[in-house]
Amino acid sequence: MLSWSGNEQGIEIEWTSVREATGGANVKFARELLDFATASTELDDSALFSAREALVKTAGVGLTIDAAAVIANFEMMTRLADSTGARMPEEVVVQRLGVATAMGVDQATSRR
Amino acid sequence: MNISWGDVRQDLARAHNQAIATLSRPGTWWTGAQRRELAMTAQMANNEREPVAPWVGVSTIANKLPVSLAAPKIAHDAIYRISRHAATLTREWYEKVTAEINPLAFIELCGIACTIAPVMAFRRALGLPALEIGSAESGQPSNQKPENIVTAQLNWVPVVGPADQVAAVVQAFTAVPETNRVIWAMADAQYIPDKEMVDPNWTRGTLSRVQMELIATRVSQQRECFY
Repeated sequence: MLSWSGNEQGIEIEWTSVREATGGANVKFARELLDFATASTELDDSALFSAREALVKTAGVGLTIDAAAVIANFEMMTRLADSTGARMPEEVVVQRLGVATAMGVDQATSRR
Repeated sequence: MNISWGDVRQDLARAHNQAIATLSRPGTWWTGAQRRELAMTAQMANNEREPVAPWVGVSTIANKLPVSLAAPKIAHDAIYRISRHAATLTREWYEKVTAEINPLAFIELCGIACTIAPVMAFRRALGLPALEIGSAESGQPSNQKPENIVTAQLNWVPVVGPADQVAAVVQAFTAVPETNRVIWAMADAQYIPDKEMVDPNWTRGTLSRVQMELIATRVSQQRECFY
């Protein structure tokens, strides 16, 4: 979906930046959004506080709240997909293999 | 800067409050007491700094669960693992669990985990007060079962037929309509209303679609979710 939405908006996604969460990625506020998403999925309260403050300062309260809502949604969807054994049709898997590899799915700890 | 509930969109606050209220009510296959108890195990799983390993049942660890349980131990073990180690789940595990729990009750259990996770994540991300689940409501589960439940190729859980005509995540909870309704009402408010999904330029005026997908990708990567 990131690849598709980027293409539709004329943005070439820098996958290494997304994979390494180093910001950039040609997306506005990418650094702050990635830091906020990362900190929200870990249990380090101080890192989360800093990431939230940085995003609020850069992009405002409204955007930060909506970013938290998207984080919440994918905390939900990842569990939904994994607990119900959701998978994509073979042709879609093949289509997305390039992006998946760029994101390092073959190196995920849970699938080793 | 402190963010309060007063800053949160009303539709989003409403979706979360409505979903939270269902956690202690009788559901389709579980009573209110069972749902509340399972929700609290999910909450514990998400909060623990040193979680129980994926291959260990939380019910086998002393003092983790109440002595007297309303829901079976295997349901607690399952919801703990879904909540904390979802990326480790396998079809073999699913078959083992559903040898003891009705597959439709399993779907409802997944729905509880999928309700707790976003509610907790949203509050924690914004520094809002932690979730408190209300007292259990009495009453019996509805046992509402759609007529045309079939096996799917794209999910290991059964779905309402015809199967595999829509994305696997979309059909996943259809065999338990109330769970399906609650989860997708949350998704509409948290992410994108269903009817806007195909519009790459849709925005609430804050995040662009590509920013939303950047966040989605990062969370999915952190959770090692292949889907």
